[in-house]
Amino acid sequence: MEDKVLTRNFGLENLYKVDVYLQQGGYQALKKALKEMTPGQVTEEVKNASLRGRGGAGFPAGMKWSFVPQKVDQPKLLCVNADEGEPGTFKDRYILSHNPHLLIEGIVITAFAVGIHTAYIYIRGEYEAVAQRLEAAIAEAYQKSFLGKNILERGFELDLFVHRGAGAYICGEETALLESLEGKRGHPRLKPPFPASVGLFQCPTVINNVETLANVPFIIGKGARWFMDHGLPRDGGTRIFGVSGPVVRPGIYELAVGTSLREIIFSHAGGLKPGKKLKAVIPGGMSAPILRADEIDIKMDYESLAAAGSMLGSAAVIVIDEETPIVDVLLKVAKFYSHESCGQCTPCRIGTSWIYKIIRRLAAGGGERGDVDELVRLASNIKGKTLCPMGDAAAMPIISLAQKFRTELESSLKNQ
Amino acid sequence: MIKIVIDNKPVEAQEGQTILKAAQQAGIPIPHLCYHPAFPPEGSCRICLVEIEGLPKLELACSTVVREAMKISTQTPRVRESRRGVLEFLLADHPLDCPICDKAGDCNLQDYFQEYGAFESAFKEAKERREKKIKIGNNLILDRERCVLCTRCVRFLTDTTKTQELGVFRRGIRSEISTYDAELVNNNYSGNLVDLCPVGAITDAQFRFKTRTWFLVPAESICPLCSQGCNIYLDYHPGFPRVSGTAKIYRIRPRLNPDVNDHWICDYGRGGYLSLLSDRWDKLVWRKGDRESVLIWEKALQILAEKIRTLHVIKRTAKIALILSSWLTNEELFLIKKIFKDDLHVEKIFFADPKPGTGDGFLLQPERAPNVRGAKEIGFALNSARLEDLSQHTDILIIFGPFLAELFSTAELKTVFDSVGTKVLITSRASGLESLVDFVLPASGMAEKSGTLTNKNGKIQSFSAVCPSCGDSRPEWSVLVDLAKELKVNARYYSLLANPGAIFRELAKEIAFFRKEPLWIS
Amino acid sequence: MRPDISAGLNKKIAELAARYPKKEAALLPVLHLIQRERGLITAEEEKLVAGLLGLKPIRVREVVTFYTMFYQLPMGKYHIQVCTNLTCALMGGDKLIDYLQKKLGTKIGETTADRRFTLTEVECLGACEQAPCMMVNFDYYGNLDKEKIDAILKGLD
Repeated sequence: MEDKVLTRNFGLENLYKVDVYLQQGGYQALKKALKEMTPGQVTEEVKNASLRGRGGAGFPAGMKWSFVPQKVDQPKLLCVNADEGEPGTFKDRYILSHNPHLLIEGIVITAFAVGIHTAYIYIRGEYEAVAQRLEAAIAEAYQKSFLGKNILERGFELDLFVHRGAGAYICGEETALLESLEGKRGHPRLKPPFPASVGLFQCPTVINNVETLANVPFIIGKGARWFMDHGLPRDGGTRIFGVSGPVVRPGIYELAVGTSLREIIFSHAGGLKPGKKLKAVIPGGMSAPILRADEIDIKMDYESLAAAGSMLGSAAVIVIDEETPIVDVLLKVAKFYSHESCGQCTPCRIGTSWIYKIIRRLAAGGGERGDVDELVRLASNIKGKTLCPMGDAAAMPIISLAQKFRTELESSLKNQ
Repeated sequence: MIKIVIDNKPVEAQEGQTILKAAQQAGIPIPHLCYHPAFPPEGSCRICLVEIEGLPKLELACSTVVREAMKISTQTPRVRESRRGVLEFLLADHPLDCPICDKAGDCNLQDYFQEYGAFESAFKEAKERREKKIKIGNNLILDRERCVLCTRCVRFLTDTTKTQELGVFRRGIRSEISTYDAELVNNNYSGNLVDLCPVGAITDAQFRFKTRTWFLVPAESICPLCSQGCNIYLDYHPGFPRVSGTAKIYRIRPRLNPDVNDHWICDYGRGGYLSLLSDRWDKLVWRKGDRESVLIWEKALQILAEKIRTLHVIKRTAKIALILSSWLTNEELFLIKKIFKDDLHVEKIFFADPKPGTGDGFLLQPERAPNVRGAKEIGFALNSARLEDLSQHTDILIIFGPFLAELFSTAELKTVFDSVGTKVLITSRASGLESLVDFVLPASGMAEKSGTLTNKNGKIQSFSAVCPSCGDSRPEWSVLVDLAKELKVNARYYSLLANPGAIFRELAKEIAFFRKEPLWIS
Repeated sequence: MRPDISAGLNKKIAELAARYPKKEAALLPVLHLIQRERGLITAEEEKLVAGLLGLKPIRVREVVTFYTMFYQLPMGKYHIQVCTNLTCALMGGDKLIDYLQKKLGTKIGETTADRRFTLTEVECLGACEQAPCMMVNFDYYGNLDKEKIDAILKGLD
């Protein structure tokens, strides 16, 4: 059963216009927060709702907000991560284009909770049409006093700007996003210090994913308890799962956290297209280690997937059919990470390129004995050793593909 | 102080120190490429990863701050494997250039491979090809195949010189260090890039292919080109036996001194020092009319001493004039003061120094001489020599250094010198003055003698001879001591001054300023 | 020597710069604007933008060469960007780019002789539910096949 909370009225025409959004009950949660709650209470509610980040890392949002020091000389800032670069992921695009006001409302409530008066939405450069719609919605929100000075006459002030990226997956990593927002190359920063203390323009900064913030109005409007009931005890709410690949109905499906992967693929997405059989599934965006066809009876939540050696990530399900050689999947994975490596740190810069070269040789029929082991070895030299998590993202899929499909890969090697 | 443990060894670290710094102070080396003490940690090379008890992943030594009771391991199999992994990646993208690379012998990558790797390459793919001989500055060549993208060069030009001539273009494996088109590195500190680069990616164009680093002996010295007194290394090749002319100083490098020059020297000094080595004058010459005779030192000093003594006896030392230079050491200036001012009551003492230049707001000072402060503290008034000073009733004129030729033309000097009785030039460099004087006494070059210099801030720094004095030349202090002994005025005093150390001790006894710090002098 | 930027553009740039505490942070949005007007970012544009934002031109080029959406060479009137990442490849995207190469008579990364089309391959566009996808300039097209591509190209003026 789909559990349409966030996406319940996505089919509605012109939902992105503020009047329609208001008709649907929009901005009520913001009114409640500003008129009936203190900032501290808002944060508590979000903490109690167990809202985990929906960008990929899954860090509890309320806890992240409370890392920002209360009393500080510098202004506090909010960055919304709308970079959506993880291959297989498209859910934020839906929120941004169908219901931008939901996001805006979530942003204002969040800013109120933390004491932020300037927020930036970092949106990937390719989402041009989406950015235009977002800018129009922001203009409407200013007009209606949901943004700007003295929001809803409650004395709270927030400015919101859209900042477009320009084609770099790494800018989805929070510190690379900050660098890019500051007008520089998207080079991730060393942590510590963490953005909550030293972030955008060296100010304490909160960075949250689009879907994460889009949940905030529901938490405040209907309460933490209600939110938790839609999910799991330590992982409240619904998730928007994206399904793509050779399935009957690719698209977004808003379901409870912990829904089974089999159900997502065969029930909601209608199973594989006629004539196609399931070979493997990537459960959480390309960076998530792959699952074989016999491993899809698994609950789609952080703990269950982690226990199976994979991850929930961006909840982007990529379905792979039996006609697809695994070496082709490897090729796409390796090419992507070597293209997107920012180049700062040694293991990622050189390792991803080396791995890509080996796989290209493999795909062209030049594979030799030991190549599959070599892929695992090199990827293991990247994993855990890099400046930012993209190293792990580059390494883990290679390792899982090489290990789980070793027989298929080695059957094509020479001098066996 | 914080108590930590590194490799089971208790170490005392300072609050706020990184593991790398604490380990270095405790004598435990941790390999690093992108880290440089002049800049905040970069964290990109990943070779300094170490194991910290209680933490699941390896952590960077260069940026992790120590905490009380932290237990760090730098030699576990996990750490060693990590280092090997980083080296393997670097070498997979590095050309096998050692046989033709100037950095060989001085190269971090070579050293670390030797220490932490020494493995066979497993890289079977095609190596990246990049441009190898890019002129990025007046004296700088960039080889992009050798570059490990530590970005020290970019950070130096952004943080230290703030001139920003270099940047990183493109991304991933295609990342490259580059200038902005034809806007080359153009500042007075560009030479430091060669020292900063941990591999042979940025090299010195003048030094290219000249020699091998393992033939060079690094000798500590002080740069004399201005009054900052930057600490330097002179990389000296002692020469091959049975092959003449192979002993020489090949290059100058900075020597760390947080109180004077930190990690840097300027190009003016770096290149300027090498120019000092050319135009050496090392012959003792006695000119009588048109004839040039060769003399030995004893004879020359005897003749000179005789002339001076004659004037001294008849109380006519007012007819002796000296032209000194602030390139002379504290010891030499002290001797001159003792002999000529105190013993002989000479009054006409002037200075000829290089014309002042522009300071650059960082290290390079306007005074282009190393011992102006020393001269002042020893009691000289540093009056600049004027033509009229030289002509007035001068029987004996003794000139130290070649700089008079920078202040006046040969023609002007010739006119004035005609009315001077005996002219003596004590110099290490040819300047054209040699043909105008009667005696040319060859002095040792700055690398050939020992002594102390006082920088503009009053810091007294010692330097030692790196190579033997060439030709007939001798250090000025030695010439002065022997002249003093020959003069037989107070000869016993001078006979005890056998070396610069002894001279400095006398100097310190007499002038309080020089008692400031204990100094070792060879 | 190309003319200086228009007064309107100057105003827009100033507005953008005012959104940030440091005007250099406006670099990416400003480069998008300039590229929209000039079609590409050459040294001239780099110096222009650098001057407006208080940066050295080298810092501008560092950014231009890092991000894939900034062009240093002239592009065709229509920049056809075909996604060849995983899902689009699973749905036949690689065959479509081959088809386009043949149809346009140009190779990946190159521009047609009449300067009408530039064909490139790009990474995931974030529209995987409509794979295989492509972007023409900034317009998204999904659920592609040869017929649809023919129709799209025909519809371009």
